[in-house]
Amino acid sequence: MLKSLKREDLLRLLETLAEQYDLQVPLKLPDGTRQLGRYGSGELSLCGPLLQRKPTSLLFPQAELLLSINPDGSVEQPHPAEKPLALFGLERSDLAAIAFLDRFFLCEPADDIYQGKRENSLLIGLTGFAGENSAYLPPAGENCDLELIATADGWLGCAYSAAGKTLLAPFPDSEAKERTEIDQRAAEPKTDSLLKAASRLLREDKVPDAFWQEIADRCILCTGCNLVCPTCSCFCVQDRIRDGKTERSRVWDSCQLDAFMREASGHNPLGTEALRTRRRIHHKLVADVERWGEIGCIACGRCDRTCPTGIGMFAVVEEMINQFG
Amino acid sequence: MTATLTTCPYCGTGCNFYLLSDDDGRLTGVEPAGQHPTTRGQLCVKGWNAHAFVDHPDRLAVPQIRRDGELQSADWQQALDLVHDQLQAIAEKHGPDSLMFLSSAKVSNEENYLLQKLARAGYGTNNIDHCARLCHSSTVTGLVETLGSGAMTNSLSCFDETELVFVIGSNTTEQHPLIGSRILQAKQRGAKLLVADSRKIRLAKHADLHLRQQNGSDVALLSGMMRQILRDGLEDRDFIAQRCENFAAFAEKLESYTPEYVAGITGLEPEQVIAAARLYAEADRAMIVYAMGITQHSHGVDNVRAISNLALLTGNLGKPGSGVNPLRGQNNVQGACDMGALPDVYSGYQNVADPEARKKFSTAWGCELPETKGLMSTHAIEAAATGEVRGMLILGENPMLSDANQGMVKKALERLDFLAVIDIFPTETAAFADVVLPASCYAEKDGSFTSTERRVQLGRKAAEPPGLARTDWQIICELLQRCGLKSDYQNPAEIMAEIAALTPSYGGISHDRLQGHGLQWPCPDKTHPGTPILHIDRCTRGKARFSPVDYRAPHELPDRDFPFLLNTGRSYFHWHTGSMTRRSHLLDREERFAFVEINPDDASQLAIFARQQVRISSLRGSITCRALVSEKVPAGQVFIPFHFTEGAANALTNNALDPESGIPEFKVCAVRIEPC
Amino acid sequence: MTAVVAKTSIYTPRSCRLLTVEQLTPQEKLFRLQLLDGSELQHQPGQFVQVSLPGLTEAPISIASSPTRTGDFELGVRKAGSLTSALHSLQPGAQIGIRGPFGRPFQMESLRGKQLLLIAGGCGLAPLRSLIQYCQDCRDQFASVQIFYGARSPQDLMFRRDLDSWQIDDNFSCRYTVDNKPADSCFDGETGLITELLNEVVLQPENSCAVVVGPPTMYRPVIAELRRLGLTSEKQIMLSLERQMRCGIGKCGHCSIEHLTCCCDGPIFWLEEVEHLRGAL
Repeated sequence: MLKSLKREDLLRLLETLAEQYDLQVPLKLPDGTRQLGRYGSGELSLCGPLLQRKPTSLLFPQAELLLSINPDGSVEQPHPAEKPLALFGLERSDLAAIAFLDRFFLCEPADDIYQGKRENSLLIGLTGFAGENSAYLPPAGENCDLELIATADGWLGCAYSAAGKTLLAPFPDSEAKERTEIDQRAAEPKTDSLLKAASRLLREDKVPDAFWQEIADRCILCTGCNLVCPTCSCFCVQDRIRDGKTERSRVWDSCQLDAFMREASGHNPLGTEALRTRRRIHHKLVADVERWGEIGCIACGRCDRTCPTGIGMFAVVEEMINQFG
Repeated sequence: MTATLTTCPYCGTGCNFYLLSDDDGRLTGVEPAGQHPTTRGQLCVKGWNAHAFVDHPDRLAVPQIRRDGELQSADWQQALDLVHDQLQAIAEKHGPDSLMFLSSAKVSNEENYLLQKLARAGYGTNNIDHCARLCHSSTVTGLVETLGSGAMTNSLSCFDETELVFVIGSNTTEQHPLIGSRILQAKQRGAKLLVADSRKIRLAKHADLHLRQQNGSDVALLSGMMRQILRDGLEDRDFIAQRCENFAAFAEKLESYTPEYVAGITGLEPEQVIAAARLYAEADRAMIVYAMGITQHSHGVDNVRAISNLALLTGNLGKPGSGVNPLRGQNNVQGACDMGALPDVYSGYQNVADPEARKKFSTAWGCELPETKGLMSTHAIEAAATGEVRGMLILGENPMLSDANQGMVKKALERLDFLAVIDIFPTETAAFADVVLPASCYAEKDGSFTSTERRVQLGRKAAEPPGLARTDWQIICELLQRCGLKSDYQNPAEIMAEIAALTPSYGGISHDRLQGHGLQWPCPDKTHPGTPILHIDRCTRGKARFSPVDYRAPHELPDRDFPFLLNTGRSYFHWHTGSMTRRSHLLDREERFAFVEINPDDASQLAIFARQQVRISSLRGSITCRALVSEKVPAGQVFIPFHFTEGAANALTNNALDPESGIPEFKVCAVRIEPC
Repeated sequence: MTAVVAKTSIYTPRSCRLLTVEQLTPQEKLFRLQLLDGSELQHQPGQFVQVSLPGLTEAPISIASSPTRTGDFELGVRKAGSLTSALHSLQPGAQIGIRGPFGRPFQMESLRGKQLLLIAGGCGLAPLRSLIQYCQDCRDQFASVQIFYGARSPQDLMFRRDLDSWQIDDNFSCRYTVDNKPADSCFDGETGLITELLNEVVLQPENSCAVVVGPPTMYRPVIAELRRLGLTSEKQIMLSLERQMRCGIGKCGHCSIEHLTCCCDGPIFWLEEVEHLRGAL
């Protein structure tokens, strides 16, 4: 059953959530961009352009303590969070990314650090006319616990989980019966067809190595493409000894770095910039298709925005299609 | 998660990012500022990892005093009293000029201002300097003479409007990555790219023309280009006539620099010199970008003069997409210069020898001030080695690794009667200190920093300093108070108010006004919007001056015993003496070992294979490091970054100084290589 | 709220005691270890563990002993990076952390009843030794076992004692060779590349299976030789690939080979699973 919410209902929902959860909502930052932050710690900015910091960073942060080893060799786990986490204000690509990471981290053998966080979290989508200048964001569907779809005069609430249903229970039913009544999503976004075309070119081996060298020559190795990518999950492990106690953390890593796969012997299966550039694109467009049956790029555009030299996913895909398509 | 907007602590580009911290106050990551004009949501690898060293367990957290030969924990009162008493005693016994103060291009404007005030007003000496001496002192000297201002003339946004970028002696994509990427973008949209660098740097792969001139031959190359421009009639006659002086003397000097003569010095083909001249001069708007490859020579000032001459000759000054653009290395090396952490000027380049300037500062600070200009840092190290300088206070610098001829630096630091070091990590220099004071890093304090495009912007506190560590400005205030000077500043904003009152180019700057994306100086009053481009219509000095120069060879060139030319500099993943980047996991992992780049031809002749340990020796010292066999360096040259204490490039370098700027010749000396 | 306070996670190392250390070559040592809680490691030949040392994170090390030899397990470790260097400096009695065993083991069901060619180069003999010991202990499961080992020089030969014992074992044939022999060496064994040893092999190709473990440069020439011997069908050549496994559970990304992970889908692969993948061999 769909629910109908007015703006004040939405604010009431936020208050309810804040009581039960560590509620993370879109906040406006000093430079005008939006990012998830704790409810009440900054200016709420429910609608607007894509959240700059990928929301997956709250489930899989840039640096995360895994464990501590005491001088006697005994091991301590980090304290679990006091409250479960609620991520509020996610759009379709954000939720697709979380679904992607869920499948990746939870498949056997499961990463129980991620699992602990994820099982203890609630996802709330915010779609419909909730984009920049009320731009239309296609509904997210069942990748979340509940979704609020902005309409011309309020919000339409759809619950997809028991927790979502409980949260929406206090609100009146909507006249609309089906979510699809307001779903204006085009059959397939143009971005998806571009990615598919590029994926096909790669699988058909139509992209020569010289292309990767040419793109690699323009890469300044900032690693930003990996770090902003909501489906990138590579990490390295670092130890720091503080007062005799070893803190072992994991830190986001980047396959664009030479040392990413370099072995102690010096041997490196990804030993050239061209190979690493190829991997960045190939992994999302081919390897992920092989492994998971779908392209690993959720087409959010973050890597294209953060790449200082204009060789993010879509820039490369377009060049690839222009040259070899 | 809390997000604190701040300014990157690495290079002079001045990127802004958010430091993200968790509920325990620990920094967990970085997010670039999406709307900042130079950052635009983008960072380099060091920026993306700028949080990583902050809570490293090696951070200094307690003041230390040397007792029985060992640095031992002390309380602040004891440590500060000892620093003051020792400095004062040395000043009384041997005169104030037996003290030397080294300020830092890593700390804020406010902290630099206070330290030069402490040296001058507190201890009565103009002996204050900082690492600009080692990077752009040649620029400050050269451009002040020709244009009247030693700063980058244009803004980073100018790369979006230029027709040609001439990069000489700057590995921009590695050392100013977000500027390098703008150059690559300019190239992508159709601008021309001319690169003059002996190494095959990334920009060279994209250049319309790449000149691999011999290190140290830049004056000859530039003079050859300028002679050709005159012969082709490509000079801007109106600009020369209306805006410049001393053209005739300059033009006469060029006569002997024929393409063939220049080819002989530079190792280039005569045609390349001619082609470069035409490429540069035929662009309507051309930017010259340079850095250490130009300045770090025993003729660094002449190099800068030649660059300035080239821009003037073609009228590339005072308009968008043009200019003379020295890229400042450190996050606040521009600011440290602006603040007067230099031996000859107060803040705003007001000369200590000028009685009016002296009177102004003396009145404001309420004390007498010394008249004679002080020692440059490079001279001060030499003076310490001979016992003329006896006491030193070093704030956030590490001369043991960063200065030329490490053996001499070591002798100097050992000979000092008293050395106090204020730093965030136990550096190689702190190991010589009598007192070590733990300071705050960029993430733990407020303050302003001035980027290479003269953009004054704020750094903001995102974390607490470790243990008992204090902010640098609070530490300096403690010493100011012990000297009986004003020390009751409540915050850096109050210090900036004092700076603005005394410094015309910062006159309109206050922390309130810096809240947005900062202000570019000169900003003389509270309503002034800042100055993106210098020298429009009129140069700071009035008319721009052509400054005739002659080629002089580097001080030490390869010979039979030391057959290779050693070039030194930085790598992309590390920063200077590595105290921060070698403690940042990903950066350290990428480059964990000291290395020397050697050309494959040379390597095979010497039977050196990749990753092998090799010994490199010069007249001054000897080190071992790993061989990185690479086409990046030309045959006959090797390159060693100076980050690594276990393979310290500066154990080899030559402390031959430019007679005017006092900069050492980091880019040329002679070495020998042997497999270990 | 359903938070469960986990006492351990999949990243928690288990403590082991170092029982003995044996110098194998100038670069390699053999470490015999026992889990502190007295339990068995319960590994299978071909698997690896993550060795953890405080301050130095972890390194993947293949297990050099067979699970048929209970009570302890052995790791053959080449001194290469900072963790392995620190490991080399440890004395018996020291405690180290272990996670695992991880990875896909040698596919025993495909090896049983076959004529086995077990081929190792360099420190690849360490993981292969686990299988060889297994073959020794379960000899009747295999039609025949031929062992081939190549090292760079006499002093680089690992497990010399084992090699000699395998040579006199009636159930095995074992040959080893060195690429180069210094002029002053008293080494009286064979000299030449490992492919030269394979030249002379007599076997029934249709009932044979080869296992190859070695440095990256060894795979292609050895595979070519095996093909020439008639091992051309699927599931006849098994490889052990080495990568920088960091997590052991397929998450960290450091050991990926296109869509596969070396730590979960491998390190043991059938040739046909990887030979078409870029960068695998």
